[in-house]
Amino acid sequence: MHRRNFIKNSALLSAGVLSQQGFLFKEDPLLGQGNKRYRLNTKWSKADVARNPVNDCHEMVQDSMGRMILLTNETKNNVLIYDKSGKLLSSWGSEYPGAHGLTLFNENGTDVLFICDNNRHQVIKTTLEGRVLLVLDYPKETGQYSKADEYVPTETAIALNGDIYVADGYGKDFVIRYDSTGRYISHFGGRGTEAKHLLNAHGICVDQRNPQQPCLIVTSRQQNAFKRYTLDGVYMDTIPLPGAWVCRPVIKGDYLYAAVLQTNTQQGKQSGFVTILDKDLKVVSNLGGSEPQYTDHKLEEMYQTVKYFQYPHDVCVDDEENLYIAQWNSGKVYPYKLSPVI
Amino acid sequence: MVAICKAQTPVQLAPPLIKYQSVFFKKSATVELKFAQQGTQIYYTLNNRTPTVKDKLYRKPIQIKKSFTTLKAMVAGEQFSTSEIVTATFIKDGINVQSVQQTPANERFPGNGPNTLIDNEGGLPAIGSKTWLGYQQDSVEINMVMEGKQKLTSVLINCLQDHGSWIFLPVQIRVYQFDERTQSFQLAGERMDPINGNIPGASCVPVQVLLSKKTITNKIKIVLNKIKSLPEWHPGKGQQGWQFIDEIKLY
Repeated sequence: MHRRNFIKNSALLSAGVLSQQGFLFKEDPLLGQGNKRYRLNTKWSKADVARNPVNDCHEMVQDSMGRMILLTNETKNNVLIYDKSGKLLSSWGSEYPGAHGLTLFNENGTDVLFICDNNRHQVIKTTLEGRVLLVLDYPKETGQYSKADEYVPTETAIALNGDIYVADGYGKDFVIRYDSTGRYISHFGGRGTEAKHLLNAHGICVDQRNPQQPCLIVTSRQQNAFKRYTLDGVYMDTIPLPGAWVCRPVIKGDYLYAAVLQTNTQQGKQSGFVTILDKDLKVVSNLGGSEPQYTDHKLEEMYQTVKYFQYPHDVCVDDEENLYIAQWNSGKVYPYKLSPVI
Repeated sequence: MVAICKAQTPVQLAPPLIKYQSVFFKKSATVELKFAQQGTQIYYTLNNRTPTVKDKLYRKPIQIKKSFTTLKAMVAGEQFSTSEIVTATFIKDGINVQSVQQTPANERFPGNGPNTLIDNEGGLPAIGSKTWLGYQQDSVEINMVMEGKQKLTSVLINCLQDHGSWIFLPVQIRVYQFDERTQSFQLAGERMDPINGNIPGASCVPVQVLLSKKTITNKIKIVLNKIKSLPEWHPGKGQQGWQFIDEIKLY
């Protein structure tokens, strides 16, 4: 199988027979379980599709000014900047055909963005206005790559000291660590049969919920799991998420949020949902998915229950705990917004 | 690329989760259906009909004893449109096979050891389920030896169809029986299945080849041929596809 193409193709095919649903709701539907329940608003974005179209909406972040920043691989406007009400404020970018990963880092008081471009085989650091600050090419220094094509970065995470971690999620599944200036430090992960190895290392984040012991959480999507590593790349443990093709982990407060692109049993059939884990890494709510069930401390297989989403690709949590869901290959829809129900 | 349908329809439920060890069984198979969403019910049929809310309501795991029983299940609930249907066909063991040898599979899809094709494990439509032998070469050969001569009427090959993952059904299957008199393999049955357009999602397809009435032998050879290259409509057109098999039954 052409692994990189594999998932892309599976949905490209189904796109031909898709129709974008216009849902009929008596009221905005309520998603999720327990104390993590949300009202869904599919019409959050007020952008004009004729002027500011999107293709795949891959990822989203919020900046220090409270604005919502969306990354799409539509080169008419790779970056769309909204306010929280969905009003489009500005847009930029036409040079990111493979725009995939978007991470925001506050560098000494200034927000900067890190874009992973699948097609360019590069990571690009920019200002919020799109001025390029740094470009990371394929990591020859690792000794694992002989050409740029082998490297298809999907996500970055930035540690407090500025170290940059890049997940090569559609390439060779290594995580490559650089210092803040882009100098190679080390790499870990990669494919193999041991627990420390990764398969489709699609996302990464720095978990600082325990300030004494910050760690990295890395997605191993085809293994339906997150894996934890120390900041030096030493494998700690695996968080199994049976059935779920999880995208990147997103931490806000005590909780970890992740889009589930699709489920194992319904691959290529728009079977995504959104999962939420508490600080003990236990799934507490699935939005559009099955109520989490643990038997003998083991999580039962998870699956989509209601087709609110097609292929969710990222969750962004704003400063008021609202969620924004960016979707891949889902009829070019803008992100949906979910507001918490107290 | 995508046709936009403006009609306002209630949001659709997803199909139930269907859980079983294998679709192949010796005495019986147990199937569990799951759907953890309040206010919904699972309905199913075992007679190959499309289930409706008038069919059996799922309450507890289902025991299947009859070969070629097809379970179809769906979910219904107020305020939602009913789900798509999930289907699985359960297949009883056939004539005892003493040994099997096959073309080595691709290293990424090695199945479950040398007896993968006769271990009664399989029928899970996910390529990661570890029961599948995956092949990229054009032709795959399988040799099977039975305990003494047997009269055979058909051969069943369980295949995976997952066009999105570049996996297609064989386009030609030939079954040969060993003829003691001439000490050679003679054609006993054949089927051709041209690829007819794209089918979304992944499914298991038990493909049956009927054999000539004179098939009495202790050895058979099966040759599976796949499409030479991916068809025009496929995103990977012109490139090599795959064929996946996980079980063979003789009747």
